[in-house]
Amino acid sequence: MERNGSFDTLARELEHAFDAGGENGRGDTSLAPWSEPRFTRLALAAFALQFERIPAYRGLCERRELTPETVTRWEDVPPVPAAAFKHLDLTIEPARRPEAVFRTSGTSRGRRARGRHLVTSLSLYRRSLVPPFGVHVVRGDRMPFISLVPPWRERIDSSLSFMVSAAAEAYASEVLWLVDGRGRLDEDALWSAMRAAERASVPVLIVATSLSLLHAVERLEMGRPVRLPPGSRVMDTGGFKGMEREVTRDELHTRVESATGVPASMMIGEYGMTELLSQLYEPVLDTGVHAFGTYVPAPWLRVRALDPLTLAEVPDGTTGLLSFFDLANAGSVCHVLTEDLGSVSRGRVRLQGRAPGAEPRGCSVAMDELLSAAGEASHELGA
Amino acid sequence: MSAGVPGAPGDAAPERASILATVRDLRATREHLRSRPVSAVVAALGTAGARFLDPEDAIRREALDRLPRTSGLSPEMCEVVLDGMAADWTPERLGELVEIELGDPRCLDDLVENEARSTMAVGPALCVQIGAGGVPGVGVTALLRSLLVKAPTLLKPGHGDALLPELYARSLAEVDEALARSLAVVCWPSERQDLLEAALGGAEVVVVYGSDETVAAVRAHVPATTRLVAYHHRISVGVVGRDALTRAAAPATAAALASAVSAYDRRGCVSPQVIFVEEGAACAPAELADLLARAMEETEKRWPSGALDPAEASRLHQARGTAEMMAAAHGGSVHHGGAWTVTWEPRGWPTVPVAGRFVRVRPIRDATDLPAVLQPLRAHLQTVGIAGLGPRARAVAVALGEVGASRVTPFQSVPFPPPWWHHDGRGPLLDLVRWVDLEVTPPGLAARLSR
Repeated sequence: MERNGSFDTLARELEHAFDAGGENGRGDTSLAPWSEPRFTRLALAAFALQFERIPAYRGLCERRELTPETVTRWEDVPPVPAAAFKHLDLTIEPARRPEAVFRTSGTSRGRRARGRHLVTSLSLYRRSLVPPFGVHVVRGDRMPFISLVPPWRERIDSSLSFMVSAAAEAYASEVLWLVDGRGRLDEDALWSAMRAAERASVPVLIVATSLSLLHAVERLEMGRPVRLPPGSRVMDTGGFKGMEREVTRDELHTRVESATGVPASMMIGEYGMTELLSQLYEPVLDTGVHAFGTYVPAPWLRVRALDPLTLAEVPDGTTGLLSFFDLANAGSVCHVLTEDLGSVSRGRVRLQGRAPGAEPRGCSVAMDELLSAAGEASHELGA
Repeated sequence: MSAGVPGAPGDAAPERASILATVRDLRATREHLRSRPVSAVVAALGTAGARFLDPEDAIRREALDRLPRTSGLSPEMCEVVLDGMAADWTPERLGELVEIELGDPRCLDDLVENEARSTMAVGPALCVQIGAGGVPGVGVTALLRSLLVKAPTLLKPGHGDALLPELYARSLAEVDEALARSLAVVCWPSERQDLLEAALGGAEVVVVYGSDETVAAVRAHVPATTRLVAYHHRISVGVVGRDALTRAAAPATAAALASAVSAYDRRGCVSPQVIFVEEGAACAPAELADLLARAMEETEKRWPSGALDPAEASRLHQARGTAEMMAAAHGGSVHHGGAWTVTWEPRGWPTVPVAGRFVRVRPIRDATDLPAVLQPLRAHLQTVGIAGLGPRARAVAVALGEVGASRVTPFQSVPFPPPWWHHDGRGPLLDLVRWVDLEVTPPGLAARLSR
């Protein structure tokens, strides 16, 4: 065994802890954040492993003189910029073939290189995603799933597809996959699924990205409105960002309600990113529609808002750049600095999208964009 | 025309009807504009432009006072940029531009004899210019070009470059009110395509500056019979030859590089993003990167960076952190301070994102290898700054031209091209005019035809 213990040992401990859910253990549906001492102990153990095994990350930490020898608070662990996932393979088991490689979807401009997350252990991912999904989306019940997200077998590079597939294994009494790996919606299957659900009087769960939900609603609006049984719900993973089409959330909710009968109070927003294996949910089922816009992180995920200039933590409720410390990322890097703005108030996160100031202005273009556009993201410009 | 029109910078977006009225009014000034001798047009435009150089003039004072806020550049950098840009707005420089590009300037007034024909340059009845925002002053240079060819001009300035065109319009109105009626500076949000269409509908020539996406979007609205002149995204680089890498020369080389990179806070299309450094000299590429870092710090004192907005600050954290990880993974180094960053990127570095005053140093075996290296950038390549190539400069420039470069210049000149430069490889005035030829029957032809 290495000086800092093995990943497998840490992963086993984390898996057991994930299974138990929040700080108060199994059966506690509040999913309380893990206590500070417990979180810190595991965070520093993960940091020690990541520092030791990922030379690029070690270099970053050494430059900042923040190493496992000197760091005693998880907040002081150097965050990795999310952009680094586009250019480096951040894995603590470089010799082991990753069990999955998830890729980001790219942006509207379609130019920048796509990020990649090498997943050392899918089991760790599965066990981290199931309990929060159970609490925030299905409340522990099994129910039929209607998925507008492609199944993982058809989109093996999608962390979202894996998540829905794993959640379905845990909680679906049956699952209908209405969108294929190329993003095509099976319209006939949509109609028959909705009519069947209407007749069966069993509540169903629709899982969708905002865009796939909009596409489905547009189809449903062409026919007789469906009335899904009470208790039916929608999980919306967002994702208009960077798409050509966009409608406001209110408009989407109104249209979903008139097309399916699912009220806004049963529409649960989920926030995740490829670089993080844990998710955040709007606690709509707990606190109703005024939960919209605030997200609860998994108990083993800490979120902070940082001053965009200094990266110092900003006061509760103040807007800053969001940084995430996710123990489910034990196999890659836990501490990730994003370009998203938001605020954190009593552990709940309010998202505001990209930092304002927009894209770089003017007539000059950055070289990384050009090379990515030319399909040469990894092309080294040098002689 | 600019002062007080709806849609002047700072106002709410104008209505479609007011854009249509502006287009109509501008076109109505053409007759007057055409009637003015080009020498008088050059004199008036230059007089209005030279005011930006005069420390006593209220226009310059207002420009320097407001520019830091509107451009995001520091006051010191604003002064450098204004001096550099406005140097080309004087009667002398504008006269030079017309002469170098069109030959006899009187061709803008009337037919001039030209060997076998008489020929005249006619500017469009209306030139609509869509500006970009990165560098303040580009909008003024743009509107001067179309006014020089006697085209009534509607400029939609880029976000961040509205102030100088607005002040220029005011200056011109004070110098020559009749001429100023041929200029309108109108702002509207880019997403208002109806307003764009209203403006473009009256244009004979459209000039657009900006990203490839912006150009494509404007192109989609330009009728087939309207000429479109597009200045799309560009990228510039530099190459340092061994002659500039002796122990004696290297510090001065680094200083020139630092100024070229720091001007406009690296936002210009002329700003070099990568410096290729020849190997095998006394000062190795890695060492030049060290010197460049020191020079960037010095330049930062002289020309401080503008305050970073949250987005740019955020990009800077991403860019630096990624570069630092890259250096740990692939070798190389990252130097930074304030908003400047220098990376020394040995072979094998992928191209990572940049932000702020950010420049990469990369090795090259020999400057003659550069054209092949730049091949992937050919559609966007513009300026190549050079130093220390000696007599090889000529051959290197020819080869760079083959891969898309349009300007090869010493680093000292990189930030401020002369007014008569072949902007992105073309004639900025020639692109705007239509030639009218009066041909005469060649001797003997009439007799041949009647046989």
